[in-house]
Amino acid sequence: MSQEQRNQSQVATANRSFFNNPRNRALIYQFLLLLGLGYFFYNIVSNTLANMEARGIKSGFDFLFTASGFDILMTLIPYDATSTYGRTFVVGLLNTILVSAVGIFFATIIGFIMGVAYFSRNWLINRLSIIYVETFRNIPLLLQVFFWYFAVLAALPSPRESMSFGESIFLNVRGLFLPEVVGEPGSNWVVFAFFAGLGITWYIKKWAKKRQDETGEQFPVLSTGLAIILGLPLLAMLITGIPFYLEYPELKGFSFRGGVTVIPELMALTVALSVYTGTFIAEAVRAGIQSVPHGQTEAARSIGMKERKIMSLIIVPQAMRVIVPLLNSEYQSLVKNSTLATAIGYPDLFTVFVGTSLNQTGQAIEIVFMTMAVYFVINMIISFLMNRFNASVALVERK
Amino acid sequence: MKEFKPLPARPAPIQTAGPIGWIRNNLFPTPLNSLVTLLILAFLATIIPDLVSWLFIDADWEGETQAACTSEGACWVFVSAWMQQFLYGSYPTDEIWRINLAILVLGAVIAAPYLLPKDLRNKVGVPLFLAFPFVGAAFLDGRLFGLEFVSTDYWGGFTLNIFLASASIIIAFPLSFLWALGRRSDMPFTKSVCIVLIEFFRGVPVLALFFMGSVMLPLFFPEGTNVDKLLRVWIVLILFMSGYMAEVFRGGFAAIPQGQYEAADSLGLSYWQKTLLIILPQVIKVSMPNILATFIMLFKNTTFLLIIGIFEILSTTQTALSNSNWLGGHAAEGYLFVALVFWVCCFGMSLISANIERKLDTSHRS
Amino acid sequence: MTNSEQVSSVSSDEDVIIIKDLNKWYGSFHVLKQINLTVKKGERIVICGPSGSGKSTMIRCINRLEEFQEGSLIVNGVEMIEDVKNIEAIRREVGMVFQHFNLFPHLTILENLTLGPIWVQKKPKEEAEATAMKYLERVKIPDQALKFPGQLSGGQQQRVAIARSLCMSPQIMLFDEPTSALDPEMIKEVLDVMVELAEEGMTMLCVTHEMGFAKKVADRVIFMDGGEIVEQNTPHEFFESPETDRLQLFLSQILQH
Repeated sequence: MSQEQRNQSQVATANRSFFNNPRNRALIYQFLLLLGLGYFFYNIVSNTLANMEARGIKSGFDFLFTASGFDILMTLIPYDATSTYGRTFVVGLLNTILVSAVGIFFATIIGFIMGVAYFSRNWLINRLSIIYVETFRNIPLLLQVFFWYFAVLAALPSPRESMSFGESIFLNVRGLFLPEVVGEPGSNWVVFAFFAGLGITWYIKKWAKKRQDETGEQFPVLSTGLAIILGLPLLAMLITGIPFYLEYPELKGFSFRGGVTVIPELMALTVALSVYTGTFIAEAVRAGIQSVPHGQTEAARSIGMKERKIMSLIIVPQAMRVIVPLLNSEYQSLVKNSTLATAIGYPDLFTVFVGTSLNQTGQAIEIVFMTMAVYFVINMIISFLMNRFNASVALVERK
Repeated sequence: MKEFKPLPARPAPIQTAGPIGWIRNNLFPTPLNSLVTLLILAFLATIIPDLVSWLFIDADWEGETQAACTSEGACWVFVSAWMQQFLYGSYPTDEIWRINLAILVLGAVIAAPYLLPKDLRNKVGVPLFLAFPFVGAAFLDGRLFGLEFVSTDYWGGFTLNIFLASASIIIAFPLSFLWALGRRSDMPFTKSVCIVLIEFFRGVPVLALFFMGSVMLPLFFPEGTNVDKLLRVWIVLILFMSGYMAEVFRGGFAAIPQGQYEAADSLGLSYWQKTLLIILPQVIKVSMPNILATFIMLFKNTTFLLIIGIFEILSTTQTALSNSNWLGGHAAEGYLFVALVFWVCCFGMSLISANIERKLDTSHRS
Repeated sequence: MTNSEQVSSVSSDEDVIIIKDLNKWYGSFHVLKQINLTVKKGERIVICGPSGSGKSTMIRCINRLEEFQEGSLIVNGVEMIEDVKNIEAIRREVGMVFQHFNLFPHLTILENLTLGPIWVQKKPKEEAEATAMKYLERVKIPDQALKFPGQLSGGQQQRVAIARSLCMSPQIMLFDEPTSALDPEMIKEVLDVMVELAEEGMTMLCVTHEMGFAKKVADRVIFMDGGEIVEQNTPHEFFESPETDRLQLFLSQILQH
């Protein structure tokens, strides 16, 4: 090819290649996308402002400082109709955290027990595990909530004919009534002793590991730890003369007063969430244990390790690699599902804020925004903690 | 040379094989296990007879009103009396054939990709599949087909759950695939937009999305526009599904070997040719079990619509339970029926999903 | 007249691939260093070297499966620049066979072969299928046309992959360790096909460890190490009198067994 032809072709390519250059194309596509999104949002915002003005809806967060005007069924902090919407928000948030935390706790326990039960040699236990998972997984959660709330708890006896356990715990259609532990002066020492026990046990664990590394001798950390965690507070109680008394719930008129009340809404929601989410956790545990190759157990047995140690040192750590990410999504799912509280009237964040407060103030944008931000943050915290945990159980692999 | 005579096989000793062996190994292998077995058997022996008699033996099956609920057992008359509402909501009785036809067509449209030959599948099966939600909705509404107009306020019952869930996943399929493609893209802005979309619709509680749909959406549109409630719900469900499906597709993309992209590139296929002809079929095939699992989840979530006043089956049950002609605590029968209906559908789909997963396993091994 | 059409008719001793001062980095890692290579039409080139030497990376640059940061690459008179049209033009003329075959598992063998001609070359279906069957007979498995890749052995799959590339009528064929993933008893059937192809005059660049193939068919053998071309020569000179100590070491390692 002659030099002139080469130059010509280069110029020809230069002119055509602006649009054909992949990088330029990408820029053009993204610019168009940006324009489209911009137009879309501009429309929405202008419409919203116009509509809000037409309907006389205020904007801004001032409403958080005005009185709410309604009572809430169950609050973890003092609250009444003169409290501000800001306080309503906090009450709802605490209730959501309560039901989520308790739900996660029980769901994990149920899930792990059922997951491990799958591998039992006992055919009945294996079948029970399968029946549990297949039954409660395929029934909608809301239906399960209704079942517990409207069918089971509603069938409980009236307060005057409560089911009671030892005259101190009462179960009836109004709820579960437990005695409340009230601290007298000096009770702080017992609490302090408990936490001190935890700290000391932690140190003992580290020291025992070090000792095992150096001398090969194993130290019964579990039993010693339990002894200390239980023993120290007991000792403190004896010294300070048991500074607690139990406030028993007592039947006055038609209901119980005193003690701790667990409302049926909370019970129904917690049980349903735990049982339902437990099925997915059980599946996760099963998948995790199955992901560990059988050769691992065989190798461990051929060294002479005991079955319990094989489970805890070989199987479970490897299974956790699969289980933890699944746990992460299940926990987040549980938190999101807790919004079903609205259906039965449990005063969680969604019910009191997006429900009642929004109805009364009409400030949909601020309220929905605040609520969604909360759920995002809660789920991000769960994600963060689970990812930390995941990193600590991950295998180191050749990159 | 000595002749080798092989030994004949002998039957195994009774204690280790056959039914006795099985019972020994699986129910009574160790003392602790034996105790547990006995406890469980005892527990079952106490509740099963009572349960069976309440459910079946003592139950009322015949009748039309509350008066027929005379026995101590379950009153299934409640269920049979309300059956039409449970299934069809308040849809006019004369027009119910429309719903039945729509469900049949839905089944056909889903089965079509498997039964049609290859070339017809893309030209006929896929467009039919995508068009179904719109045609079906118009048909149930009636006006475009010259039939009696039935407002969406009257749509309800289990068929509404089915219809909403199917219509949502059908439209969510292409939308979520696009989002998943965008998430993989090298264009940073596109990638960010898709990530935000996916994480938003996955991270927000479904109920919040429904509330946003009914409370905030009217603010977004110019004064006076009135968007049908069911339509709003449908849009929310599509977006919600797309968030989850996009993540499913993301896993599917990761499962496709890099070599497939390279082979397609080396043949000279363009981006869209490569994506639609080579990658899409493989992604869908690999993701099928997860897609089904997501659909099952969505299907169960349609019951949440009760809270915003859509009369799907659970909501209908609540209405029936509080009806003044039927007071008397039939909550158990009602909920058990709905639970059974959902369980059959969801369990069935999970069996299909497990089947597909098994087939995928063997095909990958070869 | 488009750029690629202007220069597609090359004479028989024209340079079909010209690589000049090509350099490539993965992040901060310098993976190809000052590659200079010219390939004439009809030449058969074998590239060998230790793993990580950059041999696969280099040939993957030729059909733009990899990008490079410095230098120039001209294939069949078309320069490899950031232009979608140029890239497509080059890929149309260059065929590639992969170590792991990369057949499309959801399509039959026949569909695998006709996909490119139908969608890229816009040929009618009948013509594409006739071409496909012709090449399937060339690689000696016409009876497998309606089967799926998963039903074929490794050797058969690789032969299909070769046929798939040939259906696009490429000017140049690139082979990236085509027999490394095959069971030993199937290597011969694939090499036979490649030898036939070579004897018909196809321009080939082949990354392989099969030295027997190199001795039989190659016009030139290239040794790469550490991202550079260390030595290149005729097979006879390459194996009998290596010029560099590096090549000598490599030959002693691979020719042990």
